[in-house]
Amino acid sequence: MKKFTKNIILFFLLMLVTGELTVRFTHAVSDIPQRTIDEFGIQKYKPNQRGYWKGGDHTWVVNEFGWPGILPKSYDNLVMVIGDSFIENFMNSNECHQSEYLKNMLPEYNFMETGRSGISLIEAMEISKQLDTLKPKQHLIYVNDHDFYESIVEVKPMADITQLSLKDSMIVYGEMKAPELKKVLYNWKLLYYFYNRFPISGSANEELEATQKETETIQKTQYTKEIIKLLNYIKSNYKLTDKTLVFHPNSNKTIISLSEEAGFKTILLDSKNDKTWTFDYDSHWTCYGHERAAEQISIQIPF
Amino acid sequence: MLFNSIEFFIFLPIVFALYWLIGSKHIKSQNILIAISSYVFYGWWDWRFLFLILFSSIVDYSIGLLLKKNSKPTKRKMLLWISICINLGFLGFFKYFNFFVDSLVDSFTFFGKSLEINTLNIILPVGISFYTFQTLSYTIDVYKNKLEPTRDFVGFMAFVSFFPQLVAGPIERATNLLPQFNLERKFTYSLAIDGLRQMLWGLFKKIVIADNCAKYANIIFNNYEDYSGSTLLLGAFFFAFQIYGDFSGYSDIAIGVSRLFGFNLKRNFAFPYFSRDIAEFWRRWHISLSTWFRDYLYIPLGGSKGGTQMRIRNTFIIFVVSGFWHGANWTFIVWGALNAIYFLPLLLMKKNRVNTNQVAEGRYLPNFKELYQMLFTFFITLIAWVFFRADNVSHAISYLGNMFSSSFINKLDVFPSTILLLVFSFLVIEWLGRSGEYAIEKVDGIKKPIRWGFYMLLIILMFAFTGEQQEFIYFQF
Repeated sequence: MKKFTKNIILFFLLMLVTGELTVRFTHAVSDIPQRTIDEFGIQKYKPNQRGYWKGGDHTWVVNEFGWPGILPKSYDNLVMVIGDSFIENFMNSNECHQSEYLKNMLPEYNFMETGRSGISLIEAMEISKQLDTLKPKQHLIYVNDHDFYESIVEVKPMADITQLSLKDSMIVYGEMKAPELKKVLYNWKLLYYFYNRFPISGSANEELEATQKETETIQKTQYTKEIIKLLNYIKSNYKLTDKTLVFHPNSNKTIISLSEEAGFKTILLDSKNDKTWTFDYDSHWTCYGHERAAEQISIQIPF
Repeated sequence: MLFNSIEFFIFLPIVFALYWLIGSKHIKSQNILIAISSYVFYGWWDWRFLFLILFSSIVDYSIGLLLKKNSKPTKRKMLLWISICINLGFLGFFKYFNFFVDSLVDSFTFFGKSLEINTLNIILPVGISFYTFQTLSYTIDVYKNKLEPTRDFVGFMAFVSFFPQLVAGPIERATNLLPQFNLERKFTYSLAIDGLRQMLWGLFKKIVIADNCAKYANIIFNNYEDYSGSTLLLGAFFFAFQIYGDFSGYSDIAIGVSRLFGFNLKRNFAFPYFSRDIAEFWRRWHISLSTWFRDYLYIPLGGSKGGTQMRIRNTFIIFVVSGFWHGANWTFIVWGALNAIYFLPLLLMKKNRVNTNQVAEGRYLPNFKELYQMLFTFFITLIAWVFFRADNVSHAISYLGNMFSSSFINKLDVFPSTILLLVFSFLVIEWLGRSGEYAIEKVDGIKKPIRWGFYMLLIILMFAFTGEQQEFIYFQF
């Protein structure tokens, strides 16, 4: 048994080294950019990072402002593109970003992206406030129904996301979730590989089912009152004349009209009668989806 | 719990350590540990169905003892039928109830009558076909006085639920596995290492071969109308390797894990794609199921004795039932019947036992005749696999229709060269190792640095070519 145990341990260690090298060399997992929280309480990325997306087909870039994507050549006639993982868009190459497509379609404007996965509407509003120093002409804020619910502490409390406490009428800034564990995971690629392939909290399907159930529950109850309060808060604390909410296809019509009543301009994307915008294995948009979305926005953008 | 999951990666070393800490002198305690671990292993998927295994164990254990007590043939026969009815009753209800209801409704509709019977929302308990057959083998063998009934209920529970082979086989005979629970199991270094090696090979087959072939097989089968005949042939080829890698991979892992605990399970696959005729293929594919049907169905029906009609009937019965065992779908029945059609000419010409030795024994390469025979056998199994994989019979027929259309000679629409290279390399390793129990068994004789280098290469490929974690196909049967 001693010999067996010794050989097993040795084999296991060798396997760890081999696995780590293989995972790094073949980019079996994506490189993950490191995050930071800036002086305004906004969670963004550490500036000037670069890494490979899973499979190594393309690299992602974090610019000097700490946002994914390439900066525009000029800040004149600037349009900010704010959103969650759809705008962060690590899964596509830089050519497939909203700013690239929009620039091609509206060459007289310059577009700058500020995307981070998981941001809520209120967080997007906070980001837009910080970006006002760049004097943008317009802010395009990409949202879906979740971004409204996730903005309200009383509806869906989330410690790592900036939210609004309706009770105190106060912004509650997000905290970095498990920063030390993240550091270990991002540096020990093999562990991250296992973490990705074998999710601890059940299978990917179970997670998806749980999210869908949660969404259904939220949509049934709707929280209209809370959303109205959220929009009232936004109306009183942020300038809305230069903000356009770009709603994902199939967004809740009530939320859209409430947003319009609050003073937002809105664009509702439409993916009906079109081939799928999303990846087979992921709900994010492919290059095709991004191009179609940009096409619709370029027509409806209110300058 | 899946073998290719992180849970199993944690579960196995814990059970292994506890098992050998208990020590080989304490057989009963080791059996208790195996039974508990097996129930945890199975309950990880759905604990509610543990009661089914427990009930099945209690029934067959009790009937075994009652068979021993009773010498009257009528009473013994009745006891046997009680066991058969209960076991097959559960299997029939969980696996075939909806199929029979649907088929009944369809046949009424066919004759212009309407029949309204609702199907039930039944979850198929994982592995029910496997452990049902295993417990049945016990009762039948006790009935036939081939085996003494056990008085050790814990040992019997451990035999029925033995976690390495509980959910997808090999289907063990009580005569082989049950006595091992009463014997002292000593830790043997060479046996344990051999087990680990077979597990590694099984994981490679599953993760690298089966899961990667599955990706392309699924794309091609699900969109078969868009592809040329040549691509559809490639789709069937990928499915052939998906199912082989998946199922034989599972068997390899099951056998390997059992060896770690000092148990010897029966071989389930013997390089079936190197078969020179369909009879040889069936002696090499899912051996534990084929021999089960041979011993408990074919031979009791009269086997190949009797007239030609009898032989034809028995052959059809065994193949169709074998197909139906795989699932409640006409596709499996057609798959079984098609194999019977392949097999019959050999049986009738008494050529079904011509190729009983190993192909190209003692040679590196096969001769032209052997190569032709292997390719032909592989090709006809490929056609049968289309029925096995298709969603329904009309899907299979359309698939084959498109495959044998004029576009059969067209350029391939899909050509995943890396995966094809992997499958080719896999075939080379299987060919070189075909004299062993499993392909890399003989690697043991090679110097340690080269041997370990080879193992690392397999591990590199597993990391580099890993797809999404997939369930083993045979879990559904």
